[in-house]
Amino acid sequence: MSILDRRAIMVDPGVLKNSGHYDAIIVGSGVAGAIIANELAQAGKRVLIVEAATETDRSFKGYSSYLQHFYGQADKDNQSPFPVNRNADMPRSGQLRKLDPLEINSTSYIVQSGPYVTDTVYTRAFGGTTIHWEAKTPRMLPQDFQMQTLFGQGKDWPIRYHDLEVDYELAEREIGVSANVEDQQYLDITFRSSYVYPMHGLPLSYLDQRVAAQIDGSEVELYGERYPLRVRPFPQGRNAIPNQKYDGGKGYQPVGAVASHQIDVGGRCQGNTNCVPICPVQAKYHAGKTLAKAFDTGRVDLLSQAVASRVVIDSASGRVTGIETKLYHDPASPDHHTIMITGTLYVLAGNAIETPRLMLASGLRSSSGLMGCNLMDHAYLLNWALMPQICGTMRGTTCTGGIVELRGGAFRRHQATFSVDIHNDGWGWATGSPASDVVELVDAGNKFGADLRQAIIDRVSRQLLLAFMIEVLPSESNRVSVNPSYTDLLGNMRPVVSFTVPDYTLRGAAYARQFAKTVFARLGAEDHTKYDPSDYGFVTYEGEPFAIRGGNHLAGTHVMGTDKATSVVDTNQRCWDHDNLYLVGAGSMPTIGTANVTLTLAAMAFRSARNMIMQLGRLHAPVQT
Amino acid sequence: MTTHDITSIGLLHRQLFKAMQLEHATAPPYISALYSIHPGDNADAAQILRAVAVEEMLHLTIAANVMNAVGGTVDFTVAGFVPSYPTVLPDGEHDFEVGLGPFGKDALETYLKIERPAMAPRGQARHVQIKGGARHFISHPHDQTLRYYSIGEFYAAIRDGIVYLESEAKAKGKTIFTGDRAKQATAEYYYSGGGRLWPVFDVDSACRAIDLVIEQGEGELKQIFGAEGEIAHYYRFDQLQKGRYYQIGDQPGQPTGREIHVNWEAVWPIAVNLKLNKIPEKSELHAAVADFNKAYREFLAFLTRAFNGEPKLLLEAVPRMFEFRNRMQQLIRNPLPGGDCNAAPTYEI
Amino acid sequence: MSVSRRLETFVAFSAEVTAFTPTEVWGTGLTQRYLDTVDGVVGTAMTDALLNAFDRITTQSAGERTAKLRQTVFGCEQLGPVARAVVKLWYIGTWYALPAAWQERFGPAAQDGTFVPTPDAYVEGLLWSAIGAHPPGAKAQGFGSWQFPPGIPKF
Repeated sequence: MSILDRRAIMVDPGVLKNSGHYDAIIVGSGVAGAIIANELAQAGKRVLIVEAATETDRSFKGYSSYLQHFYGQADKDNQSPFPVNRNADMPRSGQLRKLDPLEINSTSYIVQSGPYVTDTVYTRAFGGTTIHWEAKTPRMLPQDFQMQTLFGQGKDWPIRYHDLEVDYELAEREIGVSANVEDQQYLDITFRSSYVYPMHGLPLSYLDQRVAAQIDGSEVELYGERYPLRVRPFPQGRNAIPNQKYDGGKGYQPVGAVASHQIDVGGRCQGNTNCVPICPVQAKYHAGKTLAKAFDTGRVDLLSQAVASRVVIDSASGRVTGIETKLYHDPASPDHHTIMITGTLYVLAGNAIETPRLMLASGLRSSSGLMGCNLMDHAYLLNWALMPQICGTMRGTTCTGGIVELRGGAFRRHQATFSVDIHNDGWGWATGSPASDVVELVDAGNKFGADLRQAIIDRVSRQLLLAFMIEVLPSESNRVSVNPSYTDLLGNMRPVVSFTVPDYTLRGAAYARQFAKTVFARLGAEDHTKYDPSDYGFVTYEGEPFAIRGGNHLAGTHVMGTDKATSVVDTNQRCWDHDNLYLVGAGSMPTIGTANVTLTLAAMAFRSARNMIMQLGRLHAPVQT
Repeated sequence: MTTHDITSIGLLHRQLFKAMQLEHATAPPYISALYSIHPGDNADAAQILRAVAVEEMLHLTIAANVMNAVGGTVDFTVAGFVPSYPTVLPDGEHDFEVGLGPFGKDALETYLKIERPAMAPRGQARHVQIKGGARHFISHPHDQTLRYYSIGEFYAAIRDGIVYLESEAKAKGKTIFTGDRAKQATAEYYYSGGGRLWPVFDVDSACRAIDLVIEQGEGELKQIFGAEGEIAHYYRFDQLQKGRYYQIGDQPGQPTGREIHVNWEAVWPIAVNLKLNKIPEKSELHAAVADFNKAYREFLAFLTRAFNGEPKLLLEAVPRMFEFRNRMQQLIRNPLPGGDCNAAPTYEI
Repeated sequence: MSVSRRLETFVAFSAEVTAFTPTEVWGTGLTQRYLDTVDGVVGTAMTDALLNAFDRITTQSAGERTAKLRQTVFGCEQLGPVARAVVKLWYIGTWYALPAAWQERFGPAAQDGTFVPTPDAYVEGLLWSAIGAHPPGAKAQGFGSWQFPPGIPKF
């Protein structure tokens, strides 16, 4: 049983000055901040977490209120469980529209400066975007770390797969990953001998199996090389059957729902098919689970409704002397007061948009000039079809399996790789199914009664959506910036995003479309894919139309490297310019390959936490508590 | 009378059967009450009922594991395994009955009686004289005039019996743990209710399993929280009566945690201890209730297979239980003709 | 129509146009709430007109009822959009705003708009049981259930 009857020590801002000295101030309660808070606290350090959002979902009651809110919304977009909080606003896809050339749309939280309009989102809530994430947790491929050396594209990482391997294992433990090593040993991915994941892999959906029945064992050819196809299960950060062989035979105890009193749910995934935007039973990992452990040490304090607004630097030493923070009292009112928060180390753990936004709003562009540059996100291309037989779509986790054999290969000299998700939730992402299907069948199809019921079965239960997650390489002109003309209600500058989908990615997209057609042909599936020119994500490549969706896998904006001139942070995610400031998260990643970024950024958080503990050890003896 | 209540393997099997019968018997009342609560309302009450119900299912699994370990037979399909509600369970008062009905103040009183903490220290003091002629599930194994004061004491006697019988067997170079290990249900197959399920194959694993049941249920020594910090059923329900959660360090009867608001009205008015013959025959509703009972009977047969060498079937049992949830909710929202009450499963197996 | 007869007729109409049984319709727990929703948007007089139109054909055979429903309810300029909104409400749990043309001619229906009458409405949408699935985020089918073929109910 996951007894997480933990008490976060809520800090009364009025007494913050008297609360003693903090070894670390962490801005953001998402997965990176949570792991670092917990690691530092377990090592005896005192930590303050500064969170812009309310702490609504820290309690089970609060978490459940998100769920009720979700049920009650007619428009169930991927942020629909989370009520609007204009003091700590977040991007919402419903606010977007296509831009005219040179037009800027500042009506959405992220100011879209184009030309491409991204519907990427992140969630400003207690626990960060892990409250919303799908929890797919593949590792990056070893070749992803050497893109420049091996393929003459993008950047090399300053570290290699091997340097992160043990931290990947730590991240897989913390998140609670369910997968089978034998399914995940493909391309050049390796595991340490005798390693097993904490829990056994989740079974493939019936839909996956129907796809596999027709394509497993078939091949595609690309630039003269043949690639075998197979539907493979994805590793997932949600609870399944614990593997008794884990941890040298000690096994693994899944962590269920976090609550301020005892409940008993979330020990195992129930198949709610709602990983995004919210798992109703908390079988999916969210950072609140790590935070509960951190709070339990008694050494971690939480300051919520606290929006970090400026990083203050001592100009002589470059060291951070404090973080100016705006405290609001009510999400419905911009009334606030401003305080200065101080500690020994400072950790910005926002995300690859919020962290550089705060740095740039503080006038800190990095000596490399790269703060906010190299913004990356996976580009998604959706392809949808009707299977020839009933597949029972709309059941499972959001996605259990996919085609990953083209995540790597020699073709990367020419075009982007992709990983293909088989969506268990049908065409929803592309068309608003199945509600849109019912509306169409009733209003345009003039169906009711038995005709309608049968038509719904035929239309929905056969749906197949292949989502191609396509690699995007770093490009300095794809970036987050700030502009004093665009501020939020508290007067903080909002992020301005300028983005062009690179040709390298679009070549991958063009091949992805061909690939989808090939797969549909092998399945005998009816292709219904259509890209609407009025779509805000509409782009063309060599005359061919595509609608590209954002992937919510933001990265690259405070890039990690080997020197101060060409990177923002070192291999421990510490700023070259400010030796007591860490910028953690996917913003440090030089490239993202075709791995959803959370597992890798979680692994890097363990690496950074170790370095922080060493640095604190050098600076002063631990505070006695 | 000997010091030990359970003096033969036959008696042990009989008491373990009663244990399974008892654990199962509490589930339909708790689950009926749980689904009588309007969704979205009374989240606290619903979570507490749910947590208790899934732990009762864990306890049923544990009792079956112990039964299999000591060479007994697990069979949920035998006549009389499912009681006819209302039914008698052990308690300090001989006329106390458990039934099927909606969540409410009276129901809560009953739950507190079911989960009442043990009072007796050890041995014979566990027994209470039976007054009147009621038949009890948890009567004394060989003295029909005695029964146990609480479920905790009933289990304590089983634990003592196992220790006693095994030491006797060992003295003769034998063991009472003659069961097939392949029949044990372990944590891979059943995960709710704490997920603490281990194979039973000796005195230690058996006693630990029984202690867990006692601790999760009634809290043998009037402890609110068990050794691993888990709150006992009695105190879970007590929170609803007191309108406040317990937290670590609280004294019994004086919870100091977050306030609980119970909306006693936000409940479907299901008929108390409904019987199929009270629903007009040939009505759609009659057929639906009969169907439910039939499906439940098949489910018990399925579970019986699971505990007889096919533990993997427990994985498939979970989706079936989720389907029962949907069917129960559907029945509970259907008005009975001519009355102010709603239908519900009747569990006439 | 009496209050209880009105609700019964609404349930019978709902069962007819969704192809779910009255027990299943009652089983959502939303019958009264949905009748109130329709009353709230189009007014009781128009709801009565809809129910009366259905009531007149209940004794006919299934095939005749469907034909009549097309002619007198779904094909009716006034009642058709309301009936379609009721079907969508049962299947999806959302009341979809009536067409602008309907509003101009038969409105104003002050409470019209696209909305979810109560969070349970989403959870109880008939669409999900029709396809042997469950509403995303509720009524999960249990660990591993997704690996088996769907149990699409016969009707």
